Amino acid sequence: MTLSLYRRYGTRRALLAGCLLFIALVAAGCSSDKPGAYNIRPQYFWDSLFNPSGAIVNGIGLTVGISVIAQFVGVVLGVFAAMGKMAKFLPFRFVANFYVWVFRGTPLLVQLMFFFYGLQAAQIFKWPIIVAGPIDILPEILAGIVILGVNEGAYMAEIVRAGILAVDPGQNEAAKSLGMTYGQTMRRIVLPQAARVIIPPLGNEFNNMLKTTSLLSLLSIFELYNTFSNLNASSLATFELFGACAVWYLLLTTIWGFVQARIEMRFARGTAVSNDGSDWGLRARLVGLRNNAGNQGH
Amino acid sequence: MTTPHISSDLLGAIGGVPRPETDVVVDARDVNKFFGRLHVLKNVSLQVKRQETVVIIGPSGSGKTTFIRCVNHLEKIQSGRIFVNGHLIGYRETPAGRKLRIPGRGKNHAEGSTKLVEDKERNIAHQREEIGMVFQRFNLFPHMTAIENIIEAPMHVRGTSKDEAMVMGRALLERVGLAAKENVYPNQLSGGQQQRIAIARALAMKPALMLFDEPTSALDPEMIGEVLEVMKELAREGMTMIVVSHEMGFAREVANRVVMMDDGVVVEEGTPDQVFSSPTQERTRAFLSKIL
Repeated sequence: MTLSLYRRYGTRRALLAGCLLFIALVAAGCSSDKPGAYNIRPQYFWDSLFNPSGAIVNGIGLTVGISVIAQFVGVVLGVFAAMGKMAKFLPFRFVANFYVWVFRGTPLLVQLMFFFYGLQAAQIFKWPIIVAGPIDILPEILAGIVILGVNEGAYMAEIVRAGILAVDPGQNEAAKSLGMTYGQTMRRIVLPQAARVIIPPLGNEFNNMLKTTSLLSLLSIFELYNTFSNLNASSLATFELFGACAVWYLLLTTIWGFVQARIEMRFARGTAVSNDGSDWGLRARLVGLRNNAGNQGH
Repeated sequence: MTTPHISSDLLGAIGGVPRPETDVVVDARDVNKFFGRLHVLKNVSLQVKRQETVVIIGPSGSGKTTFIRCVNHLEKIQSGRIFVNGHLIGYRETPAGRKLRIPGRGKNHAEGSTKLVEDKERNIAHQREEIGMVFQRFNLFPHMTAIENIIEAPMHVRGTSKDEAMVMGRALLERVGLAAKENVYPNQLSGGQQQRIAIARALAMKPALMLFDEPTSALDPEMIGEVLEVMKELAREGMTMIVVSHEMGFAREVANRVVMMDDGVVVEEGTPDQVFSSPTQERTRAFLSKIL
Protein backbone atom coordinates (compact mmCIF):
# COMPACT_ATOMS: atom_id res chain seq x y z
CA MET A 1 0.00 0.00 0.00
CA THR A 2 2.74 2.42 0.98
CA LEU A 3 4.59 1.45 -2.16
CA SER A 4 1.64 2.27 -4.43
CA LEU A 5 1.21 5.61 -2.69
CA TYR A 6 4.85 6.29 -3.35
CA ARG A 7 4.37 5.66 -7.08
CA ARG A 8 1.27 7.82 -7.30
CA TYR A 9 2.12 10.76 -5.08
CA GLY A 10 5.86 10.93 -4.70
CA THR A 11 8.23 10.96 -1.80
CA ARG A 12 6.62 13.43 0.53
CA ARG A 13 3.23 11.72 0.71
CA ALA A 14 4.83 8.34 1.09
CA LEU A 15 6.92 9.48 4.06
CA LEU A 16 3.88 10.85 5.78
CA ALA A 17 2.08 7.60 5.12
CA GLY A 18 4.93 5.80 6.79
CA CYS A 19 4.64 7.99 9.89
CA LEU A 20 0.87 8.34 10.14
CA LEU A 21 -0.39 5.52 7.99
CA PHE A 22 -3.98 5.77 9.08
CA ILE A 23 -4.36 9.51 8.62
CA ALA A 24 -2.58 9.33 5.28
CA LEU A 25 -5.06 6.72 4.11
CA VAL A 26 -7.94 8.98 5.02
CA ALA A 27 -6.32 11.81 3.08
CA ALA A 28 -5.65 9.52 0.14
CA GLY A 29 -9.25 8.39 0.21
CA CYS A 30 -10.47 11.99 0.08
CA SER A 31 -8.47 12.77 -3.02
CA SER A 32 -8.45 9.41 -4.74
CA ASP A 33 -10.59 10.36 -7.72
CA LYS A 34 -8.67 13.56 -8.44
CA PRO A 35 -5.00 12.78 -7.92
CA GLY A 36 -3.09 15.73 -6.59
CA ALA A 37 -6.20 17.83 -5.92
CA TYR A 38 -5.86 17.69 -2.12
CA ASN A 39 -4.07 20.81 -1.12
CA ILE A 40 -2.71 20.74 2.41
CA ARG A 41 -3.47 23.94 4.26
CA PRO A 42 -1.23 23.79 7.34
CA GLN A 43 -2.87 26.77 9.00
CA TYR A 44 -5.92 24.57 9.75
CA PHE A 45 -3.65 22.27 11.71
CA TRP A 46 -1.66 24.91 13.54
CA ASP A 47 -4.60 27.21 14.22
CA SER A 48 -6.61 24.36 15.68
CA LEU A 49 -3.78 23.74 18.11
CA PHE A 50 -2.34 27.14 18.95
CA ASN A 51 -5.19 29.47 18.19
CA PRO A 52 -8.23 27.27 18.82
CA SER A 53 -11.65 28.69 18.14
CA GLY A 54 -14.25 28.98 20.88
CA ALA A 55 -15.93 25.88 19.49
CA ILE A 56 -12.78 23.80 19.96
CA VAL A 57 -12.22 25.09 23.50
CA ASN A 58 -15.83 24.29 24.23
CA GLY A 59 -15.42 20.83 22.76
CA ILE A 60 -12.39 20.15 24.93
CA GLY A 61 -14.30 21.36 27.97
CA LEU A 62 -17.22 19.10 27.18
CA THR A 63 -15.00 16.09 26.56
CA VAL A 64 -13.14 16.55 29.84
CA GLY A 65 -16.25 17.46 31.81
CA ILE A 66 -18.33 14.57 30.55
CA SER A 67 -15.42 12.14 30.98
CA VAL A 68 -14.82 13.16 34.58
CA ILE A 69 -18.47 13.01 35.60
CA ALA A 70 -19.16 9.78 33.71
CA GLN A 71 -16.06 8.16 35.21
CA PHE A 72 -17.14 9.28 38.66
CA VAL A 73 -20.58 7.78 38.10
CA GLY A 74 -18.86 4.63 36.84
CA VAL A 75 -16.65 4.32 39.92
CA VAL A 76 -19.56 4.80 42.31
CA LEU A 77 -21.70 2.26 40.44
CA GLY A 78 -18.71 -0.04 40.20
CA VAL A 79 -18.18 0.02 43.98
CA PHE A 80 -21.83 -0.80 44.62
CA ALA A 81 -21.91 -3.45 41.90
CA ALA A 82 -18.75 -5.03 43.31
CA MET A 83 -20.22 -5.12 46.82
CA GLY A 84 -23.45 -6.47 45.32
CA LYS A 85 -21.56 -9.25 43.60
CA MET A 86 -19.95 -10.20 46.91
CA ALA A 87 -23.08 -9.82 49.03
CA LYS A 88 -24.47 -12.67 51.09
CA PHE A 89 -28.02 -11.64 50.15
CA LEU A 90 -28.96 -13.40 46.90
CA PRO A 91 -31.11 -10.63 45.31
CA PHE A 92 -28.17 -8.18 45.61
CA ARG A 93 -25.92 -10.66 43.86
CA PHE A 94 -28.52 -11.24 41.17
CA VAL A 95 -29.05 -7.55 40.42
CA ALA A 96 -25.31 -6.83 40.33
CA ASN A 97 -24.54 -9.78 38.09
CA PHE A 98 -27.42 -8.94 35.75
CA TYR A 99 -26.26 -5.33 35.45
CA VAL A 100 -22.68 -6.27 34.64
CA TRP A 101 -23.83 -8.98 32.25
CA VAL A 102 -26.04 -6.63 30.22
CA PHE A 103 -23.76 -3.61 30.03
CA ARG A 104 -20.57 -5.49 29.33
CA GLY A 105 -22.33 -7.72 26.83
CA THR A 106 -23.70 -5.06 24.49
CA PRO A 107 -21.88 -2.38 22.47
CA LEU A 108 -21.82 1.12 23.93
CA LEU A 109 -22.94 2.42 20.53
CA VAL A 110 -26.08 0.31 20.74
CA GLN A 111 -26.67 1.40 24.34
CA LEU A 112 -26.47 5.05 23.28
CA MET A 113 -28.93 4.55 20.43
CA PHE A 114 -31.32 2.48 22.53
CA PHE A 115 -31.37 4.54 25.70
CA PHE A 116 -31.38 7.95 24.03
CA TYR A 117 -33.23 7.64 20.74
CA GLY A 118 -34.96 4.32 21.40
CA LEU A 119 -36.65 5.27 24.66
CA GLN A 120 -37.73 8.63 23.28
CA ALA A 121 -39.05 7.16 20.03
CA ALA A 122 -41.18 4.68 21.95
CA GLN A 123 -42.24 7.51 24.28
CA ILE A 124 -41.20 5.46 27.29
CA PHE A 125 -38.86 8.04 28.72
CA LYS A 126 -37.90 11.53 27.72
CA TRP A 127 -34.53 12.79 28.90
CA PRO A 128 -35.20 16.07 30.74
CA ILE A 129 -33.33 19.36 30.76
CA ILE A 130 -31.66 19.80 34.12
CA VAL A 131 -31.39 23.38 35.28
CA ALA A 132 -28.32 23.57 37.48
CA GLY A 133 -28.01 27.16 38.65
CA PRO A 134 -26.81 29.33 35.77
CA ILE A 135 -26.32 26.45 33.32
CA ASP A 136 -28.78 24.10 31.68
CA ILE A 137 -27.72 20.52 31.15
CA LEU A 138 -29.19 19.49 27.83
CA PRO A 139 -31.01 16.15 27.55
CA GLU A 140 -28.41 14.66 25.22
CA ILE A 141 -25.58 15.60 27.55
CA LEU A 142 -27.39 14.19 30.55
CA ALA A 143 -28.10 11.00 28.61
CA GLY A 144 -24.50 10.85 27.41
CA ILE A 145 -23.14 11.13 30.95
CA VAL A 146 -25.59 8.61 32.37
CA ILE A 147 -25.12 6.01 29.65
CA LEU A 148 -21.34 6.34 29.62
CA GLY A 149 -21.32 6.18 33.42
CA VAL A 150 -23.58 3.16 33.65
CA ASN A 151 -21.58 1.36 30.98
CA GLU A 152 -18.34 2.22 32.78
CA GLY A 153 -19.75 0.99 36.10
CA ALA A 154 -20.10 -2.50 34.68
CA TYR A 155 -16.39 -2.59 33.86
CA MET A 156 -15.40 -0.91 37.14
CA ALA A 157 -17.34 -3.56 39.08
CA GLU A 158 -14.82 -6.25 38.23
CA ILE A 159 -11.88 -3.92 38.86
CA VAL A 160 -13.21 -2.89 42.27
CA ARG A 161 -14.03 -6.48 43.18
CA ALA A 162 -10.49 -7.55 42.39
CA GLY A 163 -9.23 -4.66 44.52
CA ILE A 164 -11.37 -5.63 47.49
CA LEU A 165 -10.32 -9.27 47.21
CA ALA A 166 -6.68 -8.18 47.21
CA VAL A 167 -7.02 -6.73 50.74
CA ASP A 168 -5.87 -9.09 53.49
CA PRO A 169 -8.94 -10.65 55.18
CA GLY A 170 -7.22 -9.91 58.50
CA GLN A 171 -7.92 -6.22 57.89
CA ASN A 172 -11.62 -6.92 57.78
CA GLU A 173 -11.41 -8.93 61.00
CA ALA A 174 -9.37 -6.29 62.79
CA ALA A 175 -11.91 -3.62 61.86
CA LYS A 176 -14.82 -5.81 62.93
CA SER A 177 -13.15 -6.67 66.22
CA LEU A 178 -12.94 -2.93 66.98
CA GLY A 179 -16.71 -2.67 66.63
CA MET A 180 -16.82 -1.20 63.13
CA THR A 181 -19.91 -1.92 61.05
CA TYR A 182 -19.75 -3.34 57.53
CA GLY A 183 -20.12 0.14 56.04
CA GLN A 184 -17.39 1.66 58.22
CA THR A 185 -15.08 -1.27 57.55
CA MET A 186 -15.55 -0.88 53.80
CA ARG A 187 -15.26 2.90 53.75
CA ARG A 188 -12.40 3.42 56.14
CA ILE A 189 -10.35 0.23 56.01
CA VAL A 190 -10.99 -1.98 52.98
CA LEU A 191 -11.67 0.45 50.13
CA PRO A 192 -8.73 2.78 50.89
CA GLN A 193 -6.44 -0.24 50.68
CA ALA A 194 -8.24 -1.63 47.64
CA ALA A 195 -7.76 1.76 45.99
CA ARG A 196 -4.05 1.10 45.60
CA VAL A 197 -4.85 -1.94 43.48
CA ILE A 198 -7.76 -0.28 41.71
CA ILE A 199 -6.06 2.92 40.59
CA PRO A 200 -3.76 1.62 37.82
CA PRO A 201 -6.62 -0.07 35.92
CA LEU A 202 -8.86 2.88 36.78
CA GLY A 203 -6.33 5.11 35.04
CA ASN A 204 -6.64 2.93 31.98
CA GLU A 205 -10.39 3.19 32.15
CA PHE A 206 -10.33 6.97 32.36
CA ASN A 207 -7.89 7.16 29.47
CA ASN A 208 -10.40 5.10 27.50
CA MET A 209 -13.25 7.26 28.70
CA LEU A 210 -11.61 10.44 27.36
CA LYS A 211 -11.52 8.86 23.93
CA THR A 212 -14.84 7.03 24.11
CA THR A 213 -16.72 10.30 24.61
CA SER A 214 -16.20 10.77 20.85
CA LEU A 215 -19.10 8.34 20.41
CA LEU A 216 -21.36 11.02 21.86
CA SER A 217 -21.21 12.75 18.48
CA LEU A 218 -24.00 10.29 17.78
CA LEU A 219 -26.19 12.27 20.18
CA SER A 220 -25.23 15.55 18.46
CA ILE A 221 -23.08 16.60 21.39
CA PHE A 222 -20.33 18.93 20.23
CA GLU A 223 -17.51 17.44 22.21
CA LEU A 224 -13.99 17.41 20.83
CA TYR A 225 -14.46 14.93 17.99
CA ASN A 226 -17.80 16.27 16.81
CA THR A 227 -16.48 19.81 16.84
CA PHE A 228 -13.68 18.84 14.49
CA SER A 229 -16.05 16.77 12.42
CA ASN A 230 -18.22 19.86 12.09
CA LEU A 231 -15.26 22.05 11.11
CA ASN A 232 -14.33 19.44 8.55
CA ALA A 233 -17.76 19.57 7.01
CA SER A 234 -17.33 23.25 6.16
CA SER A 235 -13.63 23.35 5.29
CA LEU A 236 -12.92 19.82 4.04
CA ALA A 237 -9.47 20.18 5.60
CA THR A 238 -9.85 16.59 6.77
CA PHE A 239 -6.19 15.73 6.99
CA GLU A 240 -5.15 18.81 8.94
CA LEU A 241 -8.18 18.96 11.21
CA PHE A 242 -8.24 15.35 12.33
CA GLY A 243 -4.49 15.46 12.73
CA ALA A 244 -5.00 18.34 15.14
CA CYS A 245 -7.92 16.53 16.76
CA ALA A 246 -5.68 13.52 17.44
CA VAL A 247 -3.05 15.79 18.99
CA TRP A 248 -5.66 17.27 21.33
CA TYR A 249 -6.73 13.81 22.49
CA LEU A 250 -3.10 12.83 22.92
CA LEU A 251 -2.52 15.91 25.02
CA LEU A 252 -5.50 15.10 27.27
CA THR A 253 -4.47 11.48 27.79
CA THR A 254 -0.86 12.52 28.42
CA ILE A 255 -1.86 15.03 31.08
CA TRP A 256 -4.00 12.33 32.65
CA GLY A 257 -0.98 10.04 32.72
CA PHE A 258 0.84 12.53 34.96
CA VAL A 259 -2.18 13.02 37.20
CA GLN A 260 -2.54 9.27 37.55
CA ALA A 261 1.07 8.86 38.63
CA ARG A 262 0.51 11.39 41.40
CA ILE A 263 -2.63 9.67 42.59
CA GLU A 264 -0.86 6.32 42.69
CA MET A 265 1.82 7.84 44.91
CA ARG A 266 -0.79 9.17 47.23
CA PHE A 267 -2.32 5.75 47.71
CA ALA A 268 1.02 4.01 48.14
CA ARG A 269 1.15 5.23 51.76
CA GLY A 270 2.31 2.54 54.13
CA THR A 271 3.48 0.17 51.39
CA ALA A 272 6.92 -0.91 50.27
CA VAL A 273 6.91 1.80 47.57
CA SER A 274 6.82 4.49 50.23
CA ASN A 275 9.77 3.05 52.09
CA ASP A 276 12.73 4.06 49.95
CA GLY A 277 13.79 6.89 52.21
CA SER A 278 14.94 10.19 50.73
CA ASP A 279 13.62 9.58 47.24
CA TRP A 280 10.14 9.19 48.63
CA GLY A 281 10.54 12.30 50.75
CA LEU A 282 11.32 14.43 47.71
CA ARG A 283 8.56 12.95 45.66
CA ALA A 284 6.20 13.19 48.57
CA ARG A 285 6.79 16.91 48.73
CA LEU A 286 6.44 17.29 44.97
CA VAL A 287 3.07 15.60 44.95
CA GLY A 288 1.82 17.34 48.07
CA LEU A 289 1.60 14.41 50.45
CA ARG A 290 0.79 15.35 53.97
CA ASN A 291 3.78 16.54 55.92
CA ASN A 292 3.93 15.11 59.40
CA ALA A 293 7.02 16.99 60.55
CA GLY A 294 4.94 19.46 62.51
CA ASN A 295 3.32 16.82 64.67
CA GLN A 296 6.41 15.30 66.18
CA GLY A 297 6.50 17.35 69.34
CA HIS A 298 6.60 14.38 71.70
CA MET B 1 18.06 -4.50 70.78
CA THR B 2 17.28 -2.71 74.00
CA THR B 3 14.24 -3.76 75.94
CA PRO B 4 11.64 -1.03 75.60
CA HIS B 5 10.32 0.66 78.67
CA ILE B 6 6.84 -0.59 79.43
CA SER B 7 5.02 1.69 81.81
CA SER B 8 3.79 0.26 85.06
CA ASP B 9 0.51 2.14 84.68
CA LEU B 10 -0.69 0.92 81.30
CA LEU B 11 -4.38 1.16 81.98
CA GLY B 12 -3.95 4.66 83.36
CA ALA B 13 -3.82 5.73 79.73
CA ILE B 14 -7.45 4.75 79.25
CA GLY B 15 -8.63 6.02 82.61
CA GLY B 16 -8.05 2.96 84.75
CA VAL B 17 -9.13 -0.64 84.62
CA PRO B 18 -12.34 -1.00 82.59
CA ARG B 19 -15.03 -2.27 84.89
CA PRO B 20 -16.95 -5.24 83.49
CA GLU B 21 -20.64 -5.21 84.35
CA THR B 22 -20.75 -8.78 85.62
CA ASP B 23 -18.58 -10.92 87.84
CA VAL B 24 -18.41 -13.59 85.18
CA VAL B 25 -17.15 -11.71 82.14
CA VAL B 26 -17.18 -14.64 79.75
CA ASP B 27 -19.67 -17.44 80.14
CA ALA B 28 -19.54 -19.99 77.34
CA ARG B 29 -21.99 -22.86 77.61
CA ASP B 30 -21.90 -26.03 75.53
CA VAL B 31 -20.53 -24.35 72.44
CA ASN B 32 -20.54 -26.47 69.29
CA LYS B 33 -18.93 -25.36 66.08
CA PHE B 34 -18.61 -27.11 62.73
CA PHE B 35 -16.56 -26.29 59.67
CA GLY B 36 -18.68 -28.19 57.21
CA ARG B 37 -18.67 -31.74 58.60
CA LEU B 38 -15.65 -31.13 60.79
CA HIS B 39 -16.69 -30.80 64.42
CA VAL B 40 -14.16 -28.29 65.76
CA LEU B 41 -15.69 -27.35 69.11
CA LYS B 42 -17.49 -30.04 71.08
CA ASN B 43 -19.61 -28.81 73.97
CA VAL B 44 -17.01 -26.35 75.11
CA SER B 45 -17.88 -24.56 78.33
CA LEU B 46 -15.66 -21.97 79.92
CA GLN B 47 -16.11 -19.20 82.44
CA VAL B 48 -13.77 -16.28 82.90
CA LYS B 49 -14.21 -14.10 85.97
CA ARG B 50 -13.52 -10.44 86.28
CA GLN B 51 -9.80 -9.57 86.28
CA GLU B 52 -8.88 -13.13 85.55
CA THR B 53 -6.26 -14.19 83.00
CA VAL B 54 -7.00 -17.49 81.35
CA VAL B 55 -4.43 -19.06 79.08
CA ILE B 56 -5.63 -21.69 76.61
CA ILE B 57 -3.03 -24.22 75.56
CA GLY B 58 -3.18 -27.25 73.33
CA PRO B 59 -1.86 -28.72 70.11
CA SER B 60 -2.61 -26.92 66.83
CA GLY B 61 -5.98 -27.83 65.41
CA SER B 62 -7.40 -28.31 68.89
CA GLY B 63 -9.92 -25.47 68.42
CA LYS B 64 -8.44 -22.94 70.84
CA THR B 65 -8.14 -20.15 68.26
CA THR B 66 -11.57 -20.98 66.86
CA PHE B 67 -12.97 -20.74 70.36
CA ILE B 68 -11.74 -17.23 71.09
CA ARG B 69 -12.84 -16.13 67.62
CA CYS B 70 -16.33 -17.32 68.58
CA VAL B 71 -16.20 -15.15 71.70
CA ASN B 72 -16.40 -11.98 69.57
CA HIS B 73 -18.39 -13.68 66.85
CA LEU B 74 -15.73 -13.67 64.16
CA GLU B 75 -16.92 -17.27 63.80
CA LYS B 76 -20.50 -18.47 63.96
CA ILE B 77 -21.45 -21.23 66.35
CA GLN B 78 -23.99 -23.94 65.66
CA SER B 79 -25.24 -24.44 69.19
CA GLY B 80 -24.62 -23.29 72.72
CA ARG B 81 -24.45 -19.80 74.18
CA ILE B 82 -21.63 -17.35 74.74
CA PHE B 83 -22.29 -14.49 77.11
CA VAL B 84 -19.85 -11.63 77.51
CA ASN B 85 -20.61 -9.09 80.18
CA GLY B 86 -24.04 -10.66 80.46
CA HIS B 87 -24.89 -10.18 76.76
CA LEU B 88 -25.54 -13.12 74.48
CA ILE B 89 -22.95 -12.72 71.73
CA GLY B 90 -23.95 -12.81 68.08
CA TYR B 91 -27.43 -14.27 68.47
CA ARG B 92 -30.96 -13.67 69.58
CA GLU B 93 -32.99 -16.46 71.09
CA THR B 94 -36.33 -16.93 69.42
CA PRO B 95 -38.84 -19.46 70.69
CA ALA B 96 -41.05 -20.77 67.89
CA GLY B 97 -40.24 -17.87 65.62
CA ARG B 98 -41.25 -15.24 68.19
CA LYS B 99 -38.79 -12.75 69.61
CA LEU B 100 -37.85 -13.46 73.20
CA ARG B 101 -37.15 -10.29 75.10
CA ILE B 102 -35.86 -11.77 78.33
CA PRO B 103 -34.17 -15.11 77.77
CA GLY B 104 -35.31 -17.78 80.20
CA ARG B 105 -38.08 -15.74 81.83
CA GLY B 106 -41.04 -17.00 79.82
CA LYS B 107 -43.26 -19.96 80.62
CA ASN B 108 -42.56 -22.30 77.78
CA HIS B 109 -39.00 -21.45 77.03
CA ALA B 110 -37.30 -24.57 78.11
CA GLU B 111 -33.74 -24.81 76.83
CA GLY B 112 -34.72 -27.11 74.00
CA SER B 113 -37.53 -24.97 72.64
CA THR B 114 -35.51 -21.84 71.87
CA LYS B 115 -33.69 -21.32 68.62
CA LEU B 116 -30.63 -19.18 67.97
CA VAL B 117 -31.00 -16.59 65.24
CA GLU B 118 -28.02 -14.51 64.22
CA ASP B 119 -28.28 -10.98 65.51
CA LYS B 120 -28.27 -7.86 63.34
CA GLU B 121 -24.85 -6.87 62.08
CA ARG B 122 -25.09 -3.51 63.84
CA ASN B 123 -25.82 -5.13 67.22
CA ILE B 124 -22.92 -7.52 66.82
CA ALA B 125 -20.63 -4.59 65.98
CA HIS B 126 -21.84 -2.88 69.14
CA GLN B 127 -21.09 -5.96 71.27
CA ARG B 128 -17.57 -6.16 69.85
CA GLU B 129 -16.76 -2.68 71.18
CA GLU B 130 -16.45 -4.30 74.61
CA ILE B 131 -14.08 -7.00 73.42
CA GLY B 132 -10.53 -6.17 72.38
CA MET B 133 -8.75 -8.60 70.13
CA VAL B 134 -5.08 -9.01 69.30
CA PHE B 135 -4.19 -11.14 66.31
CA GLN B 136 -1.29 -13.41 65.52
CA ARG B 137 -0.41 -11.32 62.47
CA PHE B 138 -1.08 -7.92 64.11
CA ASN B 139 -3.45 -6.73 61.34
CA LEU B 140 -2.58 -3.07 61.83
CA PHE B 141 -4.12 -0.85 59.16
CA PRO B 142 -1.19 -0.30 56.77
CA HIS B 143 -2.55 2.95 55.32
CA MET B 144 -2.61 4.62 58.72
CA THR B 145 0.17 5.76 61.01
CA ALA B 146 0.61 4.27 64.48
CA ILE B 147 -1.46 6.97 66.14
CA GLU B 148 -4.11 6.88 63.41
CA ASN B 149 -4.46 3.13 63.96
CA ILE B 150 -5.12 3.74 67.63
CA ILE B 151 -7.57 6.65 67.36
CA GLU B 152 -9.55 5.21 64.42
CA ALA B 153 -12.07 3.16 66.38
CA PRO B 154 -12.48 5.52 69.36
CA MET B 155 -13.28 8.33 66.93
CA HIS B 156 -15.44 6.52 64.39
CA VAL B 157 -17.06 3.88 66.57
CA ARG B 158 -17.27 5.54 69.98
CA GLY B 159 -17.57 9.07 68.64
CA THR B 160 -14.74 10.41 70.79
CA SER B 161 -13.45 13.81 69.67
CA LYS B 162 -10.13 13.87 67.84
CA ASP B 163 -8.40 15.87 70.58
CA GLU B 164 -9.49 13.48 73.27
CA ALA B 165 -8.59 10.44 71.18
CA MET B 166 -5.15 11.88 70.44
CA VAL B 167 -4.43 12.46 74.12
CA MET B 168 -5.39 8.89 74.93
CA GLY B 169 -3.57 7.53 71.88
CA ARG B 170 -0.35 9.29 72.80
CA ALA B 171 -0.62 8.11 76.40
CA LEU B 172 -1.06 4.54 75.19
CA LEU B 173 1.85 4.77 72.76
CA GLU B 174 4.07 6.17 75.48
CA ARG B 175 3.11 3.42 77.88
CA VAL B 176 3.89 0.65 75.42
CA GLY B 177 7.26 2.33 74.85
CA LEU B 178 6.57 3.68 71.35
CA ALA B 179 6.00 7.40 71.84
CA ALA B 180 8.58 8.15 69.13
CA LYS B 181 6.74 6.10 66.54
CA GLU B 182 3.54 8.13 66.55
CA ASN B 183 3.67 9.13 62.88
CA VAL B 184 5.29 6.01 61.50
CA TYR B 185 3.48 3.61 59.19
CA PRO B 186 3.28 -0.04 60.33
CA ASN B 187 5.52 -1.40 57.59
CA GLN B 188 8.42 0.59 59.00
CA LEU B 189 8.08 -1.06 62.39
CA SER B 190 9.34 -4.38 63.69
CA GLY B 191 6.92 -7.18 64.45
CA GLY B 192 7.21 -6.58 68.18
CA GLN B 193 6.52 -2.88 67.76
CA GLN B 194 3.54 -3.58 65.52
CA GLN B 195 2.08 -6.00 68.04
CA ARG B 196 2.48 -3.52 70.89
CA ILE B 197 0.62 -0.94 68.79
CA ALA B 198 -2.05 -3.53 68.02
CA ILE B 199 -2.50 -4.03 71.78
CA ALA B 200 -2.71 -0.27 72.28
CA ARG B 201 -5.28 -0.07 69.47
CA ALA B 202 -7.46 -2.68 71.16
CA LEU B 203 -7.08 -1.00 74.58
CA ALA B 204 -8.14 2.36 73.16
CA MET B 205 -11.70 1.03 73.02
CA LYS B 206 -11.58 0.50 76.82
CA PRO B 207 -12.69 -3.11 76.45
CA ALA B 208 -14.03 -5.17 79.33
CA LEU B 209 -12.24 -8.19 77.93
CA MET B 210 -9.11 -8.73 75.87
CA LEU B 211 -8.62 -11.72 73.59
CA PHE B 212 -5.13 -12.65 72.44
CA ASP B 213 -4.86 -15.07 69.54
CA GLU B 214 -1.30 -16.44 69.64
CA PRO B 215 0.09 -12.91 69.89
CA THR B 216 3.73 -13.93 69.81
CA SER B 217 3.66 -16.79 67.31
CA ALA B 218 4.53 -14.61 64.31
CA LEU B 219 7.36 -12.80 66.07
CA ASP B 220 11.11 -13.26 65.86
CA PRO B 221 12.35 -14.71 69.16
CA GLU B 222 14.05 -11.50 70.29
CA MET B 223 10.76 -9.60 70.07
CA ILE B 224 8.59 -12.02 72.02
CA GLY B 225 9.71 -10.60 75.34
CA GLU B 226 8.58 -7.02 74.72
CA VAL B 227 5.08 -8.15 73.76
CA LEU B 228 4.77 -10.54 76.70
CA GLU B 229 5.94 -7.72 78.95
CA VAL B 230 2.97 -5.60 77.88
CA MET B 231 0.60 -8.51 78.40
CA LYS B 232 1.99 -9.30 81.84
CA GLU B 233 1.55 -5.69 82.83
CA LEU B 234 -2.07 -5.76 81.65
CA ALA B 235 -2.74 -8.91 83.67
CA ARG B 236 -1.10 -7.40 86.75
CA GLU B 237 -3.27 -4.29 86.48
CA GLY B 238 -6.42 -6.39 86.41
CA MET B 239 -7.49 -6.62 82.78
CA THR B 240 -9.72 -9.60 82.08
CA MET B 241 -7.94 -11.66 79.43
CA ILE B 242 -8.15 -14.87 77.43
CA VAL B 243 -4.84 -15.75 75.85
CA VAL B 244 -4.21 -18.50 73.35
CA SER B 245 -0.50 -19.07 73.56
CA HIS B 246 2.35 -21.52 73.37
CA GLU B 247 4.35 -19.42 75.83
CA MET B 248 4.33 -21.76 78.81
CA GLY B 249 6.57 -19.44 80.80
CA PHE B 250 4.01 -16.68 80.42
CA ALA B 251 1.18 -19.02 81.39
CA ARG B 252 3.02 -20.19 84.48
CA GLU B 253 3.84 -16.67 85.59
CA VAL B 254 0.66 -14.78 84.75
CA ALA B 255 -2.29 -17.09 84.30
CA ASN B 256 -4.88 -17.51 87.00
CA ARG B 257 -6.08 -20.52 85.15
CA VAL B 258 -4.75 -22.70 82.35
CA VAL B 259 -7.16 -24.49 80.03
CA MET B 260 -5.93 -27.44 78.02
CA MET B 261 -7.85 -28.09 74.81
CA ASP B 262 -7.46 -31.00 72.43
CA ASP B 263 -9.59 -32.10 69.50
CA GLY B 264 -12.28 -29.53 70.22
CA VAL B 265 -12.72 -30.50 73.85
CA VAL B 266 -11.63 -28.86 77.08
CA VAL B 267 -9.46 -31.66 78.43
CA GLU B 268 -8.40 -30.13 81.68
CA GLU B 269 -8.33 -26.83 83.49
CA GLY B 270 -6.77 -25.59 86.67
CA THR B 271 -4.15 -23.32 88.13
CA PRO B 272 -0.84 -23.25 86.22
CA ASP B 273 0.69 -25.33 89.02
CA GLN B 274 -1.92 -28.04 88.80
CA VAL B 275 -1.84 -28.25 85.02
CA PHE B 276 1.89 -28.01 84.50
CA SER B 277 3.16 -29.89 87.54
CA SER B 278 0.54 -32.55 88.10
CA PRO B 279 -1.74 -32.89 85.09
CA THR B 280 -4.51 -35.41 85.63
CA GLN B 281 -5.13 -36.21 81.98
CA GLU B 282 -2.94 -38.32 79.75
CA ARG B 283 -3.45 -35.97 76.78
CA THR B 284 -2.20 -33.00 78.81
CA ARG B 285 0.87 -34.93 79.90
CA ALA B 286 1.59 -35.97 76.30
CA PHE B 287 1.22 -32.40 75.05
CA LEU B 288 3.35 -30.89 77.78
CA SER B 289 6.10 -33.45 77.35
CA LYS B 290 6.35 -32.44 73.70
CA ILE B 291 6.36 -28.72 74.28
CA LEU B 292 8.42 -28.31 77.44
